[in-house]
Amino acid sequence: MADDWGMLLFRHLIDAGIEEAEAGELTDDALAEAAAAGVEPGSMYGPALTYAGALARTVRQATRHAAPPPRRRDAIVLRLRNVTKRYRRRQVLREVNLDLRAGEVAAVIGANGSGKSTLLNICAGLTRASSGTVQRTERIGYAPQHEGVAPLLTPAEHFRLFGAACRMNRKEAVSVGSQLAAQLGWRPRRNVVASHLSGGTRQKLNVVLSELNGPDLILLDEPYQGFDQDSYVDFWDQVFRWRNGGAGVLVVSHMLHDLDRVDHVLELQPVGES
Amino acid sequence: MMLLTVASISLQEMIRRRVALLFVFLLPLVFYVVRIDVHWQAIRFLSVGVGWAVATLALFSHVGARRLDRRLTVIGASPTALFFGRQVALAAVGVFVAGVYFGLVAVTQEDLPHLAGVALLLVTTVLIGAPLGALVSLVISRELEGALALLSIMALQLLVDPAGAAARLLPLWSTRELTAYAIQGHGSGSLSSGTIHFALMMAACVLIGWGAGVLRLRAVRVSPVPVQESPHATLK
Amino acid sequence: MPRNISQQWLHGFLDLCLLCLLADRRDYGRGLVERLAEVGFDEVPGGTLYPALLRLEKQGLVRTEKEVSPSGPPRKYYELTDLGRATMHERRGAWIQFRAAMSAVVEAPAARSGRE
Repeated sequence: MADDWGMLLFRHLIDAGIEEAEAGELTDDALAEAAAAGVEPGSMYGPALTYAGALARTVRQATRHAAPPPRRRDAIVLRLRNVTKRYRRRQVLREVNLDLRAGEVAAVIGANGSGKSTLLNICAGLTRASSGTVQRTERIGYAPQHEGVAPLLTPAEHFRLFGAACRMNRKEAVSVGSQLAAQLGWRPRRNVVASHLSGGTRQKLNVVLSELNGPDLILLDEPYQGFDQDSYVDFWDQVFRWRNGGAGVLVVSHMLHDLDRVDHVLELQPVGES
Repeated sequence: MMLLTVASISLQEMIRRRVALLFVFLLPLVFYVVRIDVHWQAIRFLSVGVGWAVATLALFSHVGARRLDRRLTVIGASPTALFFGRQVALAAVGVFVAGVYFGLVAVTQEDLPHLAGVALLLVTTVLIGAPLGALVSLVISRELEGALALLSIMALQLLVDPAGAAARLLPLWSTRELTAYAIQGHGSGSLSSGTIHFALMMAACVLIGWGAGVLRLRAVRVSPVPVQESPHATLK
Repeated sequence: MPRNISQQWLHGFLDLCLLCLLADRRDYGRGLVERLAEVGFDEVPGGTLYPALLRLEKQGLVRTEKEVSPSGPPRKYYELTDLGRATMHERRGAWIQFRAAMSAVVEAPAARSGRE
């Protein structure tokens, strides 16, 4: 019984991105403590899956606390001046202004229909603004809200493809992709195509692809659909890790948590309401 | 290189679409077997079937990749590499299918005036089919409607009299001509007119498909950020 | 899921409690749980306690040592490091301030309404 629980714990730790050696150590320690107390590990720690999740998060967060570099207020990575967008007669965006520097996080919030995704598409260069100016750095990462991944490709194939677009060679791309995935608590398995991943894991792939090329500006459109609470926290940890690493991050969101840790909050109103 | 990566990954993706592949392989076979008693018709139907199947595979491949291609161009991928990478993978699948069917014809038919001509007509058909599918995907961006459009083209191809003037506008007219050369011993006139039509048609499909793809995918040019900026000069 | 609200509150202060208990004397997992139960907290589940101890270890605030126990298999003992001790003093100061503020808000109105 204890052995089964132990094996499950080990497996779940690996799945959560913990290195094999450390996962082995953590499992052995847990089993030893339970044995020393004369208690079944299941009743001492709870289900192996939840315990593995708690341990994995602790390990991940520890690397965050380890060395927070000082924030740099650097060059502007994105500048929006009086950006408006009109579709035929409907005005979607009205005079949006923003200066985002490297090492800053901006959250774009607003109710549905307030033009958040449109603004992001304008920043990414997918749509042209009707008026106003957009200036941004060249190296960007972009994670759309829907269908950002190819359902019939494996994570590794995604890494290769996106890596090739940024002149990374195959090995490098897959290795970087796997490391970034581990930071979100996910170990990509070979031969599992994206459509067979759970919604939350697919979104993690989406997020990893947006930063694969080490961009200066990362644009994310409500990327945590399907995330559980732990993943949501991990995601925001990742955002702040990007910030500490010197990138500028723009996150479109309708969730209002964590806004106090963000540098800019851009609130969009659906046009037609004042 | 980017193009080769796109080609190999597109190929992987195609192989995973089992049902589509099944159609690509089996539909022409059905066409061939149904008419096998009249050999020139059997080969004609087979070749148009192969062309249609590759074109439909190309349609599905390009339509399915649309979202991802947009995302890739945003981070700096070249639309040209994306288009041609996919086309190379499709051509590879097509040529493989053509090869298999050439083998089938060689085994099941006797006394064909120019057997090599059969190989030529099958290969040229798939080489038109791939960019044709891409072209349709750019005009009709949905899989079902695009497949119906290709079906209509194929039906026309089979029904229209090749001698008529309008027939030359159809993409696979060259296939018809080359069939005449290979099977009915029509001589080198058919061979040359068929090859020329093929070359022109393929060039046209590729150029239009590529051009339209580039236009569609080209990211909006965004001006670079001013380099020297004092942090105090910001507006919110 | 915490059974009641005091369980939730303890979650937030668990690290500080553990640091203070370990400042008093080094201990092993079960021992810490028992000491917390003695002063009136509900039993802290292993699934909460051990990740917290792991966190302290990763942050360099405690070090661990396996020791043969008098009854049965070896146990892992936790001990404060110098950094841990310094951090504990810091957080203890923060707690005292926090507690004063809480008392001012939470306890005073009760006294006021008692007067009315």
